[in-house]
Amino acid sequence: MSFEYHEPTSLAEAVDLGARFGADGRFLAGGTDLIIQIRRGKLRLRHVVCLHRVPGLDGIAANGSVTLGALVTHRALERHSAFQGGLRALVEGAEVVGGHQVRNVGTVGGNIVNASPAADVTPVLLALDTAVTYAGPGGERTLPLDGFLVGPGQTALRPGELLTGLRFSALPGRSATAFLKAGRRKAMEISVVCMAARLTLDAAGERCAEARIALGAVAPTTRRARAAERALEGRAPTPDVLRDAGRLAAVESQPISDVRASARYRTLLVETLVTRALTRCLERIREAAS
Amino acid sequence: MTKVALTLTINGQRHEVLTEPHRTLLDVLRADLGLTGTKENCLEAECGVCTVLLDGRAVNACILLAAQCQGRQVLTIEGLGRDGQLHPLQQAFIDHGAVQCGYCIPAMILSAKAYLDEHPAPTEAHVREALAGNLCRCTGYQKIADAVLAAARELAHRR
Repeated sequence: MSFEYHEPTSLAEAVDLGARFGADGRFLAGGTDLIIQIRRGKLRLRHVVCLHRVPGLDGIAANGSVTLGALVTHRALERHSAFQGGLRALVEGAEVVGGHQVRNVGTVGGNIVNASPAADVTPVLLALDTAVTYAGPGGERTLPLDGFLVGPGQTALRPGELLTGLRFSALPGRSATAFLKAGRRKAMEISVVCMAARLTLDAAGERCAEARIALGAVAPTTRRARAAERALEGRAPTPDVLRDAGRLAAVESQPISDVRASARYRTLLVETLVTRALTRCLERIREAAS
Repeated sequence: MTKVALTLTINGQRHEVLTEPHRTLLDVLRADLGLTGTKENCLEAECGVCTVLLDGRAVNACILLAAQCQGRQVLTIEGLGRDGQLHPLQQAFIDHGAVQCGYCIPAMILSAKAYLDEHPAPTEAHVREALAGNLCRCTGYQKIADAVLAAARELAHRR
């Protein structure tokens, strides 16, 4: 697995190297996926461009809207004080990734570029309407995360382009998030199904003003369950309505059968987890209000 | 292939290393520096036997390029004891019979150290979660958890 190693010290230099190497090179963030892919021979690279000396990529800015640099680690997400309230799903998604050793090193940007359909933080970011910013020779571009994820291991990034950060808006009042994951054991597990929900109630606290439901490991990419979201909006969040949303999300999912679970079991899990996560959001909104 | 020149501080001692860029911290520790207390097994960050502390945090040395560690502090099991004395975690593992084949133990102890440094009074559930990234195929987890809890008490007593 031999390659040339580069350590740019500015974003401009990193972008130049990316443009020069194109498909012969890859950017290295934490490396917890990339190094394994190189060792397995899945990726044959002539150049690895390590980003850890590029300043400004590992910051979390949470003043109203939230900006995450591409090199923010899962550990940093788990511990940030701004994510302990309404944004708790970010912590819940980050803390089930690998063991401490992987979370100490693996980054949120690397996780998105790796584009595993089973990535645990990605559904949370989708539920928050996250936008992805990336840089290339043509300058900086921003896309909704939804459109950025193209397929298993595939994103809208072209060779040499570099994901620099993520951004999402502040949660409106009367909002909460929740993340749930089903696996065969409690830790070190690739999700059988993972999902995140965000619920915002109207000013009276009686009806759903906005809902987001994002599903992992049940389609070629992490994706939103839009029919289920629409079924919630404008309605009172009764147990029946939340169960209906779960059923609709199950219909929208397109799981495969593999070593971890059958497609049928995954569909059943989606229904249960979506209903449960929405219920949890509702509890959290009420707890915060009381 | 252009080699990279690195300065690594390992167990408090500075090492100048010249190595190919694809080599991992694990390769350099074991093959170049003879520090074979850090073990090699799955090479995919699943088993955790290669765990060392990088600037105080547990990492899998098998998937970390040595070049990523330039200028940083590495602690391996060889550097844990001081002045011929075992670290309280090492002593607790012996006292509780927590070592069976032994292969996972250096990494187990280092993961436990990183955790106890930040969480001095854990519950058993916390300890088990802290060690989730370290597999023991002898499956001796109960005695390992007991040993870590005993070491936490001993460390608290010394403070």
